[in-house]
Amino acid sequence: MSDNAPLLAVEDLSIMIGRQAENLVDGVSFSVMPGETLCIVGESGCGKSVTALALMGLLQTPPVHITSGSVRFDGHDLLGLSVDDWSDLRGDRMAMIFQEPMTALNPAFTIGDQIAESVMRHRRIGAEAARARALEMLERVGIPAARTRLDAYPHQLSGGMRQRAMIAMALANDPTLLIADEPTTALDVTIQAQVLQLIRDLQRESGTALILITHDLGVVAEVADKVAVMYAGRIVETAPVEALFNDPQHPYTIGLIGSLPGLEAGQRGSRLATIPGLVPAPESMPAGCRFADRCPFATATCAEAPPLREIASGHAVACHYAPLEEHCAPEQAA
Amino acid sequence: MLAFIGRRLLIAIPTVFIISVFVFLLQKLLPGDPVLALAGEDRDPATLEALREMYHLNEPLIVQYFYWIGAVLQGDLGMSLRTNQPVTSLILEKLPVTFQLAVMALIFAVGIGVPMGILSAVYKGSWLDYIANFVALSGLSIPNFWLGILLILLVSVNLGWLPASGYRPFTVDPVRSIETMLMPAFVLGTALAATLMRHTRSAMLTVLKSDYVRTARAKGLRERVVIMKHALRNALVPVVTVSALLFGELLAGAVLTEQIFTIPGFGKLVVDAVFNRDYAVVQGIVLVTSVGFILMNLLADTAYMILNPRMRDQK
Repeated sequence: MSDNAPLLAVEDLSIMIGRQAENLVDGVSFSVMPGETLCIVGESGCGKSVTALALMGLLQTPPVHITSGSVRFDGHDLLGLSVDDWSDLRGDRMAMIFQEPMTALNPAFTIGDQIAESVMRHRRIGAEAARARALEMLERVGIPAARTRLDAYPHQLSGGMRQRAMIAMALANDPTLLIADEPTTALDVTIQAQVLQLIRDLQRESGTALILITHDLGVVAEVADKVAVMYAGRIVETAPVEALFNDPQHPYTIGLIGSLPGLEAGQRGSRLATIPGLVPAPESMPAGCRFADRCPFATATCAEAPPLREIASGHAVACHYAPLEEHCAPEQAA
Repeated sequence: MLAFIGRRLLIAIPTVFIISVFVFLLQKLLPGDPVLALAGEDRDPATLEALREMYHLNEPLIVQYFYWIGAVLQGDLGMSLRTNQPVTSLILEKLPVTFQLAVMALIFAVGIGVPMGILSAVYKGSWLDYIANFVALSGLSIPNFWLGILLILLVSVNLGWLPASGYRPFTVDPVRSIETMLMPAFVLGTALAATLMRHTRSAMLTVLKSDYVRTARAKGLRERVVIMKHALRNALVPVVTVSALLFGELLAGAVLTEQIFTIPGFGKLVVDAVFNRDYAVVQGIVLVTSVGFILMNLLADTAYMILNPRMRDQK
C-alpha cells in the first residue's frame, strides 16, 4: 500500500438479492490508487459484475440491494450520497464500459448524440462544443472516418467499433476511475487485443484508474497492477500481479492458473486441468469456506469461514492453510 | 423515405384488388334480392327484368365486377338503392364527421393511455401501478354505451356543461363541433386508452431492463431523461403501431357511440345500409374502410421507420 489516499476504497461490501439467506457478494474489500489497474477475476456468477454495478450505483434495486459496507470514492461516501449527487459523479468522475457493445448503445440515437449527451450533462457547454468533443473522442479511440461515424447509428457499426464508441463515451469527461466489465468478452478474438490495447493506452495517457473485470487470466497478466480473485461472492486472494502468478496461495487461484493452457513443451497436447465441480448457487452457499466443496485440500477446519489474512505485503489470502509453505504441502494441484 | 412509401403503396395495390373482389362477391352472396327491394310492390316480371338489365345483373359475375370496379375507379360507387343518392357523396358527407371523432378519440386515448403506461411501468408493483391497471381493466370492460349514457346524465343533464347532441360540422361551427364531440371522443378514447396503456406498460418494462438504459444511467443522466428520452423513444415503436391500427378501427365507425350522441357519422350509415340491404352503400363503405386501414398500416410502418433507425437501412 502506498502512503497516498486510495481513489476508491471498498470496505466489507455485501450485496443481497431478494430475501435469500446468503449474500451474493459477501464482505468484499479492496482499494484502487489513482492511475492504478485492479483486475477482478473470477468465474461467471462469482459476483464481480454485481460488485462493479454497485460501485456505479447501477444495481437493480429491488431485488438486488446492498446490505452492508462502505464505498469511498475521491472523498465521497458513495453509499451515503443522494441519487442526484451520485448521478453527478457517474459519467463524469467515474465511468463504465459494459460487456455487450451490441446492446449497450441506444439504437434510436446516433453515436455522436450519445457521446455529446454525456458531455453536455456534466460540463456547461453547448451542443456544438459537445459535438466537437464527441468527434475528438471518436478520433482518439481510433474510429476511422470519425466525422461521418458521428452521425451513424449503433447498428451501422461493427461490434469492435461499437465498443470503441462506448470507450469514447466513457472517457469523454476524463474520469478518474474507469470500470470495465469484461469489455472484450463479446468481441472477436482478433479485435479483443486491439480494444484491450486501446483501453491501456488511453488509461496511460489520461492517468485514469482502471478496474477491469475479467475471467481471462491472460488479460490479467497483461494489464493488471493488482489482482483480486473472487469466488462465490468473496475475495479469496488479492495480490500484486507478479505475486499472484509467481506465488498463488489460495487453492482456487492455483486451480485457475492451472487451468490456463500452457505453451511450454510437454504441456502441449496434455489435457487442460480443470477445477472439478461447479460454483455453488446463491441459494445453496456452504456456511464455511465457499470453495471447500471443490477444494482438494479441504479439511474439517474449512467448515469455518476463513478470514482474508495478509501473508506478505499487499498479498492477502482467505484460506486457513495459507501460506501453503508453512503447512504440510499436499501434492500440487496443477 | 419516399422510396419506402412508394414501395409500400405498390405492395398495397394487390391487397386492394383482392379486397375489392371480396367486397364484390360478398354482396353477391348476401341473401335477399335487391331488385325485389327496388321494385317494391310492383312484382311485374317485366319490371324486374328491366331492372336486372339496367344494373347488369344478368351478366356473368366477372363482367359485373368490371362494370363495378371501372365505375369505382372513377369515383362512382353507385347509387344508394334506397335513397337514390350517389354513394360517394353519402360517404364523403359522413367521413369528415367520423374522422374528427376518430382524431379526438385518439388524442384522448394517447393522452391518457401512454402516460399511464409509462407511470405504471416505472412504478411497477406500487399502488400507482395497481390503480393504473384497475383503471385500464375498467376501461376495457365498461361498455361504451353505458359510459356514454352516464356521461350524458352527469355532464349534460346534471351539470349542463356540454351539449348531449346537436352536432355541427367543424367547418360550420368549430367550437360547437368540438363541444359535441368531447364526450363521445372521451368514451371511445378511454376504451382505447386501456389497450394503449397495456402496450406502453409492457414495452416500457422491456426497455427499462435493456442495457442501453443502464448505459444512459451510467452516463449520469437524470432518471427523467433516462425514462422520457432513452426508454420511451424505443418503447414508442410498438405503441405507435397499435395506435395507427386503433385509429383505423375508429374510422370504421363507432355505431353505438354515434347512436347515443346522435352523431351523423359512418356508424349510422353502415347500420342503415345493412338493415335496408342497401348493397351499393355497404360495398362502398367496406371498400373505403379497407383502403383506410391499408393507409393506416402504411402510416404505422412509416412512423415505425422514423422511430427505429435500424429499419431505415433494410430493404
